[in-house]
Amino acid sequence: MDKLVETLLQGDHVGALSEARRLLALGIAPERIVTDGMETAMRRLDDKCTVESFNLLEIMLAGRAVSAVVNELYPEGAPPAQGRATFVIASLEGDIHDLGKNVTRMVLIGKGYRVVDLGKDCPVETLVNAAEREHADAVLVSGLITPVIPQVRKLRPALAARGLDGIKVVAGGAALKQATAEELNVDYVAETAFDGARYLEQLARRKTE
Amino acid sequence: MPELVVRVNGATHSIPYEPGLSLRDILDATNYRVRSACHGIGACGLCRVRVIAGEAGEPTRNERLHLLPALLSQGVRLACQIRPAQDLQVEILNPAPPSNWKSPPDAALLQGAHERAAGDRWLPPGVKHPCGIAVDLGTTNLCLSLFDLAKGKWLADRWGRNPQQRFGADVLTRLAAATGSGDAAREMSRLVMAAIGEALLDIATREGFDPRRVVNVTLVGNTAMLALLSGRNAELLLRPENWERPVDCLPRDTSGWVQEWAINPAAGVDVIAPLAGFVGSDLLAGLVATRFVEGAAPALFIDFGTNSEIALWSGEELWVTAAAGGPAFESSGIGCGMPAEAGAVFRVEAQADGELNYRILGDDRARGVCGSGLVDLIARLLESGRLQPTGRFAGGAASFAFRAGGTGLALDKNDVDLMQQAKAAIGVGIGALCASAGVSTKALRRVCVAGAFGRYLDVASAQTIGLLPMVPPETVELAGNTALAGCCDVMLSSRAADRLGELRSRARLLNLARHPGFAEAFLENLYLQPLRVVNLG
Repeated sequence: MDKLVETLLQGDHVGALSEARRLLALGIAPERIVTDGMETAMRRLDDKCTVESFNLLEIMLAGRAVSAVVNELYPEGAPPAQGRATFVIASLEGDIHDLGKNVTRMVLIGKGYRVVDLGKDCPVETLVNAAEREHADAVLVSGLITPVIPQVRKLRPALAARGLDGIKVVAGGAALKQATAEELNVDYVAETAFDGARYLEQLARRKTE
Repeated sequence: MPELVVRVNGATHSIPYEPGLSLRDILDATNYRVRSACHGIGACGLCRVRVIAGEAGEPTRNERLHLLPALLSQGVRLACQIRPAQDLQVEILNPAPPSNWKSPPDAALLQGAHERAAGDRWLPPGVKHPCGIAVDLGTTNLCLSLFDLAKGKWLADRWGRNPQQRFGADVLTRLAAATGSGDAAREMSRLVMAAIGEALLDIATREGFDPRRVVNVTLVGNTAMLALLSGRNAELLLRPENWERPVDCLPRDTSGWVQEWAINPAAGVDVIAPLAGFVGSDLLAGLVATRFVEGAAPALFIDFGTNSEIALWSGEELWVTAAAGGPAFESSGIGCGMPAEAGAVFRVEAQADGELNYRILGDDRARGVCGSGLVDLIARLLESGRLQPTGRFAGGAASFAFRAGGTGLALDKNDVDLMQQAKAAIGVGIGALCASAGVSTKALRRVCVAGAFGRYLDVASAQTIGLLPMVPPETVELAGNTALAGCCDVMLSSRAADRLGELRSRARLLNLARHPGFAEAFLENLYLQPLRVVNLG
């Protein structure tokens, strides 16, 4: 498992993939590969990004390796083991930037969550529909530009109108993180992808308790 | 290069210089300007220095007119009358008051390049020696050039910081501030207008120039800067759907500006309209100045900045895009960064023993590293294996510490990351343009590098880290501030203005963010390695 963690951290997606295949061949359950391998790697990446500084390439490479391993473990796209939370993520209509959203998706997949990615330029309506259909625990929106703020504010009322009040709304990204949760009418404003992931982890833990 | 040792206010600074200029012009490009009020013709007698050691030549007639024999015998001289060729040590007796406005480091040497054919613009009668001012409104800096319109003769250049910085370092933050508050919008417009007035005042007092000679002001800039100046449609620029469309940001009434600048009451103000929401008239002017679409061979143009504009000429088609890579090229946001001005490390060279040698602009003390220095430093660290192509330091180090000109500086991972992101945006842009125009980077016969960052850029270093395509180095032209040069062309000549109009109708816009495969191409381009154009499909 150490080798898997190491290859993931190095962003060596070819190495990570062959290591995951080797572990599966040894009869190790996909769930254990996620908890012992990928989650450990994500925790160490988080520490690294907090202690040292953020390097976008390292995170993107690790994310690509994580995606490759997840696709190998769950080729049917089936959700990870029971009890894991599901999140729906998007950049809202009018915003065509999705680098930050992609980084967040990778971090959450690496932590073993099921993430439904609706891409960029996504209407609020589509996001709410997906949240309902996928039984999402939270809706995540990333925004690089300020004009999307009015749309972010509409999310909670739109969810409530469908009786989905229980679904949390988390915002992040250059434009949104300047504002408070109150101003955006969301449950949490994440400083970084890892900060958002920590909030969602707490949420998921509370749910299982 | 001979060395000038300057003593001023009790401190000593040594500055290597290119012979050929007067001592006043050499000092003008540094932080140690001498007071002056006559454009350096020996008329005002203010630019007094004392020669401590070295050869300064015989005093001129003008110096004997202004300086008593007793002063001359003490070595007191006029800086504008001395043209040093060897090592010289001087004391500045009459330092200039501090100013936000500077002469570009090598403006005076470029004087030849500044000369234009006499303009064909209509000049109002009754104004003696009518002049015009060309302005390039940048997000970080404002640059302007003063020309004698009748003779096509360059008179002065100034550059300084864009005073809107306190509303945000980047365009989007400033646009959002202006959209959110009418007061902020008015203040940003006023700040830039006042800054142009200050720069003009600096020229007026220092060069003994009468601002009423100014009969025209022509401005180019990125779309956001023009919208903020004219106070029009800033809110439209926040919406991506307008980035590929023309946005009207021409001022409705400029009579107040003419009054504020105290220029000739009959003066006209021409704001050159941008191409679209994300491509300004600065790019159009740059393409005019470099005569970009006049050759038959494929050519690439990159104006490096916070929002870098890139153009590709296939020989038949002109493709244009903008790549927002962040402010690393301007060295903003970089821990050890500073603009390309006196005191900046602008070159880093490896010596035979592997030690690095740091070259500093206009000073012997370093205050930071400018964009070209950063590119050099990263390239040297890559070559010596101290930095990996992913942006990690070897052995897990968090930073690289070094001493330049007696100052301790450090390049950390975050600095490298910012440069990676900036250069990745450029790489994606080049790749997308090449794919759209059906031109491979191997076919490029000309690469124009514009912007202050380009002025000192080492082409080989830029290629090492993947900032420029691997073309033969002689293909690369470091063209300096082409936006300002093109603005001057348009101000002076109606033919240049026509060419700009033609470019406007010809350019085909490409929005990178909408391009499929952007994320994958961006990832590939984050690596610090020679540029490989990734086909975006």
